[in-house]
Amino acid sequence: MKISKNWLSHYLTHDLSDNQLNRALTFSGIEVEATQVMPRLPEELISAKVVTASAIEGSDHLKVCQVDANDPAGLLQVVCGAANCRSGMMVVLARIGAVLGDLTIKKAKLRGVESFGMLCSEREIGLSEEHGGIIELPADTPIGVSANELFGLPDTVFELEITPNRSDLLGYIGIARDLSANLGLPLKLPEIKEITEFAKETLPLKLRIDEPELCPRYTARLFSDVVIKASPLWLQVDLIKSGLRPISNVVDITNFVMLEQGHPLHAFDYDKLQKENAGDEGPAVIVRKAKPLESFHALNKKDYQLRDIDLVIADGQNPSALAGVMGSSDSAISSGTTRIVLESAAFNPSSIRRTSYHHKISSDSSYRFERHLSPECTIVTSLRATEMLIKYAQAKVASELMDPYPLVDRVKYLALRPANFERLIGYPMDTQQIKSYLTRLGCKFIKEGAWQKDALEDAAQIPAVTADKPAALWFKVPQNRVDLVREADLIEELARLDGYDKIPMKTPPSRIMDHHANRIQEIVSRHFVSQGFFEVLNYSFNDPASLQDLGMDPEINTQKLINPQSSNQSIMRVSLLPGLLENIRYNLNHYERDLKLFELARIYPEDHETEPLRCTALLTGNKGETHWKYKTNALDFSIVKGIMESLVELLDLQVDKVAEYRAPWLMQANSLAWYVKDEPVLLMGLMDAEVCEKFGIDLGTLDQQLWMIDIDLHRLIELTRNVELTYRDLPRFPAVYRDLSFLVPESEKWLAISEYVKSVEPELISGVQLLDQYRGKQVPQGFRSLHIRFKLQDEEKTLTEERIEQIVASVIEVLTKQCNIQMR
Amino acid sequence: MHTQLEELVAKAEENIAACRTPNDILDARAAYLGKKSVLNGLYARLRELAPEERPAFGQLINEARAKIETLIAAQDKEIKNAIRAQQVQQELDLGMPGWMSPFGSLHPVTIVRRKIEAVFMSMGFEVAQGPEIEDEYHNFDALNTPQDHPSRNLADTFYLQNGKLLRTQTSTVQIRVMEKYKPPIKIISPGRCYRNDKPDPSHSPVFQQVEALWVDKGISMSDLKDSLQNFATAMFGVDVKSRIRPHFFPFTEPSAEMDISCVSCAGEGCRVCKQSGWLEMGGAGMVDPAVLEMVGIDPEIYSGFAFGLGIERIAMLKYNIGDMRILFENDVRMLRQFRGESL
Ligand SMILES: [Zn+2]
Repeated sequence: MKISKNWLSHYLTHDLSDNQLNRALTFSGIEVEATQVMPRLPEELISAKVVTASAIEGSDHLKVCQVDANDPAGLLQVVCGAANCRSGMMVVLARIGAVLGDLTIKKAKLRGVESFGMLCSEREIGLSEEHGGIIELPADTPIGVSANELFGLPDTVFELEITPNRSDLLGYIGIARDLSANLGLPLKLPEIKEITEFAKETLPLKLRIDEPELCPRYTARLFSDVVIKASPLWLQVDLIKSGLRPISNVVDITNFVMLEQGHPLHAFDYDKLQKENAGDEGPAVIVRKAKPLESFHALNKKDYQLRDIDLVIADGQNPSALAGVMGSSDSAISSGTTRIVLESAAFNPSSIRRTSYHHKISSDSSYRFERHLSPECTIVTSLRATEMLIKYAQAKVASELMDPYPLVDRVKYLALRPANFERLIGYPMDTQQIKSYLTRLGCKFIKEGAWQKDALEDAAQIPAVTADKPAALWFKVPQNRVDLVREADLIEELARLDGYDKIPMKTPPSRIMDHHANRIQEIVSRHFVSQGFFEVLNYSFNDPASLQDLGMDPEINTQKLINPQSSNQSIMRVSLLPGLLENIRYNLNHYERDLKLFELARIYPEDHETEPLRCTALLTGNKGETHWKYKTNALDFSIVKGIMESLVELLDLQVDKVAEYRAPWLMQANSLAWYVKDEPVLLMGLMDAEVCEKFGIDLGTLDQQLWMIDIDLHRLIELTRNVELTYRDLPRFPAVYRDLSFLVPESEKWLAISEYVKSVEPELISGVQLLDQYRGKQVPQGFRSLHIRFKLQDEEKTLTEERIEQIVASVIEVLTKQCNIQMR
Repeated sequence: MHTQLEELVAKAEENIAACRTPNDILDARAAYLGKKSVLNGLYARLRELAPEERPAFGQLINEARAKIETLIAAQDKEIKNAIRAQQVQQELDLGMPGWMSPFGSLHPVTIVRRKIEAVFMSMGFEVAQGPEIEDEYHNFDALNTPQDHPSRNLADTFYLQNGKLLRTQTSTVQIRVMEKYKPPIKIISPGRCYRNDKPDPSHSPVFQQVEALWVDKGISMSDLKDSLQNFATAMFGVDVKSRIRPHFFPFTEPSAEMDISCVSCAGEGCRVCKQSGWLEMGGAGMVDPAVLEMVGIDPEIYSGFAFGLGIERIAMLKYNIGDMRILFENDVRMLRQFRGESL
């Protein structure tokens, strides 16, 4: 539903900005789907009169107009291309200098004819998307009136989503009432005057409701002497801003009142309605179900085969309207109409929904009736339309208000326990505030009484407060609020009006736990487990002698116990390695030859403020268990490195470099470190057999290698904190692969070789893969043969064969120069 | 053109019959039905014919096409059936072991610690960490331990040369969290603790504990019983009952010991529960008002409960491990048994 801020302001006294109004609507539970700002127009836009309009020779649509704009220099010459442009017409003229969005009106020459302005369409002034022709203002519009005044600009149109339970919000007054209750602002309802003048002759009508369950109330009034013409400009503008097209005064008035009151109306041409029986005094309006196979020609020019469950408004013979959905074209208001029947009725919402759904026909009227409108609103709606018909269509009232109301809508009384507000919403609201909010919504406080779950229809039945029953406030509920039927509904209204932002939060969001640290620890330990490692738990102590065996000084950066249980547990551990070496020794002695162990625990160096987490692992023996088909290999550097590389992927770690690393317990030239931001975070290396022997592990005799992995978990956690993964768009152009095979001296290492390859075209070479390494027969001593594949990818285009060849040549050239390779 | 079509069909028939592999079929399909096939080319040549001849010949091409399609489909089916028949005939011994990349395991104490964390996190507790090397204030004073309390002795507590000590329980973390955060506080703090006990079947100088603390408005002993029963159910199953009985701790008032019904005899009485039917789980109670005051929380507004559990003890009960020292031997034959609980 679209509402114009200016129109809304007729019913609500406020000085809210667009943003404030948007927020107020949102917190009332009315979702603002879109906001359309209609800015103030330049003062160069004014009403003007086309005095003459004549076709330009040689053009099929251009006309040259002489326009009266009260200009002291006389008539202005304006060229216009609109089909509806004609002499005598009142138009909106944009004079030279006007700026409309991107368009600046300048003196122009079209087909050799000079033009001093532009005649505007609705789209050009931002009123609607209508661009079929120029705006025609009512003939009595004075010349020289500013367009802002004519069109009520500036204005803002809000497109609202009304939840299906709130049928009371389907009109401007409903929205205004809710905002008034919410913001405590005064509500101004249109004053409806009593009818004093009647037509000389009253008209006869036979009005009957055959289906009271489907139509509980039908209010009708007859009018004569109606003059069908265009509506006043302000009314047309209001309808346009709310998304409706103006048609003629009578139809526009029914639409206007529907938008204002939220209750649809319909007008029939009295003279097109037939009698039921020849002897009847006047034509009939009968609310009945359709007869089987009765057909209906609707206003939308389509024919419908009705079913016997569809409710129709029929004259004495045929359906004149599909009740609450759409009128027939036969009974519609036309330019010759002089007498009308004004319908203001209430219909059963399910019946309307069924009919609308089945026949795939919906309208502003069915949209509202489907949401259950109260029958109590028909009178006000009818009176409001009556007043406007008298004023803008010269109508004369030709009957009393006919108002059959077979199924009276009962008044409801509901009880509310103030304490229950706190129980459900979470904070208390005092009685005074409760009464004030509900009164603003149109509820009426009756009295205090004992609480009772069910609504009452009679205030006299409200039970008295007794000692054993909780006290409650009893309210009469306004009948247009069909959604208020239980205490919980009232409590919801109170919470909504007071603002959901006032509801206190009980438990602040989690802030103590370090979820990230927890997650990284889990990833690392699960990785080790999935790679075949067993977790061990050792005491938190080091033996000073063990540290010395590793080449560490137990006096430096350690914390010593005063009362250790034994001297080999006298230092808070600074390395997990001695414990793991002991675990390896123990298990080797128990004839377990293939071992993979890790420990994840804190260490306690003295210089560290926290107790940093560390994860150290040892592995020896074969890669996996013996298998009849797939032979298992002894561990070597590539297997250990693979464990590290898969961890790097699991953590999405941004590694800056991988380089050789040295530690006293590791074999030289057999260890590596992964650096993140210059810090060695992941380490791996081959344990020095001499060191191992000091821990009772005789690798030589066992003929096994013992490898170590060491992770500075504390740094790893900090370096990965708040690092988010970002998706990269998929490449739009295919990648190309090229293979090269060459001999390279043993002194040249793979890391350097791959870097040289990439350096040739860093933007295009996105990967270098090692396919094979070979030493042996055809390879000279001191060389190895490498087979590599590199991937070429251009983000911008498909690489040409020529360009690819050029890159391959450059790669060979660089490798020859830097690494002395020989192509094979 | 008619002869050309006939020859084409004859040749296709011969070639299709000669197809032996699914790849041959792909080639044949491309050669006779593909975009660049002779047959497809014939459509373009229709205009060489007189207009009245065109529909009839078009019909002939269509028929030839249909025939070739049928032949290819039939041959394709035959080849694939042969492959399937071969697979059935292969002599497989499905009893032989499959290949797997064997995984390891977490330590049973870690497994139980993770389970406990998960149970409490599902109840809305957060996991908090604190230092193991503590000062006397956080380990004793703030927990309302009298100056001359025997637990402060060298025989009970490890001290460091720099004047610090090794925490004897993770309650120290509660104090540190309450010093830093305002209620509501709902945490557990798992971690290593130290007591100067010689290793024996039920003691270890290094062990792990988890403490729970919940401070908020309106927290009572009833919440304590709730959390304890929820924990026991999640850890040991729906049939396990829990109880608390009066006890004394300096930092809780009232204090209690928590028991669960014996998991090995279901409360009947056995060796594990020393015939009592109940197993002691740890200490508990309402946080002493003096402790709350010491960390600046008003005991008139807030209240809270705390309890502590020994993780090794729970692991031993859960997995029926008879001696605590087994847990620190790190024998892979023991660890290997926990593969199924590890990932
Ligand atoms: Zn028992």
